[in-house]
Amino acid sequence: MTHRFAARRRSVLLAGAGLAASTAWPGLTRASGEPIRIALLTSLSGPFSGLGESMRAGLQLLLAQSNQEMGGRPIQLLVEDDQGKPDEAVRKVRKLVGQDKADIILGVISAAVALAIRDIVTESRTLTFIANAAANALAREAASPYIFRTTKTSWMLAHPAALWVHENVATRGGITLASDYAAGREYVADFEDTYRQQGGTLGKQFWTPLGTTDFAPLLMNVAALKPEFIYAFFPGADAVRFLKQMQDFRLRDSIRLIGPGALFDQEDVIPAVGAAALGGFNAFHQSPGAPASQAFVQAYQQARQRLPGEASTAGYATGQVIRSGIEAVGGDLSRKEAFKAALLAEPVATAFGPMRFDPRNNQAILDIYLNEVKPGPDGKPLNTVIKTYPGVQDPGPGNARP
Amino acid sequence: MAYIVVQILNALSFSVLLLLTGLGLSLVLSLMNFVNLTHGSFFLLGSYIGVQWMASGAPWWMAFPAAFVLTGLVGALLDRYPFRQFYPRTHLMQVLLTYGLSVVFADLMRWGFGADTLSPMLPDLLQGVVFVMGFPFPVYRLFLIATGGSLALVLWWAIEHTLWGAAIRACVIDRGIVETLGINTRRLLTVGVVLAAALGGLGGALGAGMLSAYPGLDEEVLLLALLVVVVGGLGSFTGTVLSALLIGFVTTFARMWLPEFANFLTLGMMALVLMVCPNGLLGRETRQL
Repeated sequence: MTHRFAARRRSVLLAGAGLAASTAWPGLTRASGEPIRIALLTSLSGPFSGLGESMRAGLQLLLAQSNQEMGGRPIQLLVEDDQGKPDEAVRKVRKLVGQDKADIILGVISAAVALAIRDIVTESRTLTFIANAAANALAREAASPYIFRTTKTSWMLAHPAALWVHENVATRGGITLASDYAAGREYVADFEDTYRQQGGTLGKQFWTPLGTTDFAPLLMNVAALKPEFIYAFFPGADAVRFLKQMQDFRLRDSIRLIGPGALFDQEDVIPAVGAAALGGFNAFHQSPGAPASQAFVQAYQQARQRLPGEASTAGYATGQVIRSGIEAVGGDLSRKEAFKAALLAEPVATAFGPMRFDPRNNQAILDIYLNEVKPGPDGKPLNTVIKTYPGVQDPGPGNARP
Repeated sequence: MAYIVVQILNALSFSVLLLLTGLGLSLVLSLMNFVNLTHGSFFLLGSYIGVQWMASGAPWWMAFPAAFVLTGLVGALLDRYPFRQFYPRTHLMQVLLTYGLSVVFADLMRWGFGADTLSPMLPDLLQGVVFVMGFPFPVYRLFLIATGGSLALVLWWAIEHTLWGAAIRACVIDRGIVETLGINTRRLLTVGVVLAAALGGLGGALGAGMLSAYPGLDEEVLLLALLVVVVGGLGSFTGTVLSALLIGFVTTFARMWLPEFANFLTLGMMALVLMVCPNGLLGRETRQL
């Protein structure tokens, strides 16, 4: 709570400073001089709060680098906590749209939240940027003309992972293991689809409830199967427990583990599991080792003394996208169509890599990195790019799974 | 065969983990009739203290007494204000107070310890494995079974077989009569609450190696602890132990055979237990103040 109020107070102060500046030099800024209100909706309490704070830090870094202004107008940052809950998020978005008159909303960690706020922002025609949630539906049947997604879909990570595994690991004898909720189901189903299309055959599929404390009973079964590889997905603390317990039972060295990047998130998971992450493979649109993110990685390390993961990079990259849109319309956010057209017209250089938007669904088309977790220069585990799949594009609205 | 033996050890270690979450709550809820929803916060606080202690380079085994003492201190402060005013009030009032406090604590801990998932840096000794009939089994889990088991034994002895334990139990049934015997019941209840908080913290420090520490763990632990205590039956310490074992074994074997339905099977069985014996496994009728 303290953070939130502090952040808001700071943004109000900055906006005030911006206002003062605009009255002092009327020629330099737009006549209106009013700040652009950018609202960050993220999870600052509950299980996603680590991701939420990183996302906020990434965005704040970008705002600081932009001198708190975009397109010649000062930026006022509003921060709201959705607690990772759809009902709370809906309440907060109503407030942001109705009371705070936010010009732009960004953020959203959880897919359930993203789907819950879709209709409100679409009806109020608020430009919205989904920075983290991966649900395929938002790029397909639930795509909205006012929602840009500056991050991956589940398919965009599962598809290249399956291609890579089929080509480099094994064509049979693998199993899947994932948290039993929407994201886990999507990642595994999309992986399975592509893997089968390539001619591979997958073995058993295991599902565990979200928030599983003890993976040991399952790990015994896995050890007995002796699989060629495991394709796994767990978020946050589940990933930490899973990797650590795999290490406890001495399974990390004998079985190759591949997953979407969240399983080996550089900021959220790796510091907590340490060496248990070594030797893991993941397909991700973010990598601290990617050339495109080097400048950001350095700045972020200076600001927070740690390497960025997905959420912080998403906060920063989404800020970059918003900035390029605002600059394209010269700070005049009433020109929504021009804003959208500018983003669709040409790629934005972001900390993820070059980002183009698909005009069918406003979904980002991204380079997907195949990372291997190796010891970095300081000996600590580091996501290192071993292959890049350029310009991976979600199948989009026409090709939704039945 | 070896596979089953290892799974039984897994079930035991998970049962002990459940027991560690439930011990403190069992003491305040079932013996003192005080609904303490800040119990999960004590557990998480203990986890954080354990993690920080082990990262600091001080002797690792001191982490557990440190967590015990420090969370006990927090318990003592809370007992002075505002718990004291709420012991004689209805359960609903206690729920409102302690739930509110748990939300405040969750924010305070996120502010103090950060929002990241933290794991303790266990000493090499605890990171090893022993081979159980050819299967590697983590030493840490054996350590958990041993310490958790002995802790439960000590507590059981203290409550069921010492005069202090008898006095605490008597306090719950009729405080007035205990007062007439010349025992300061106020002090006795304080000891109970402090001990419960300290046990929560100790459980957190011990469990962190398996659960890690992160915002939100407090709520998850509170649910598990309530489940263990309620199924075991209010007013019975042995019941809490039995119920931890039951839940631990059912969950482990459900995860082993039908992982998709693990939660359903566990909770379904709990519901069944409560339908057959509404007071829990070994519960007796309790008085609602």
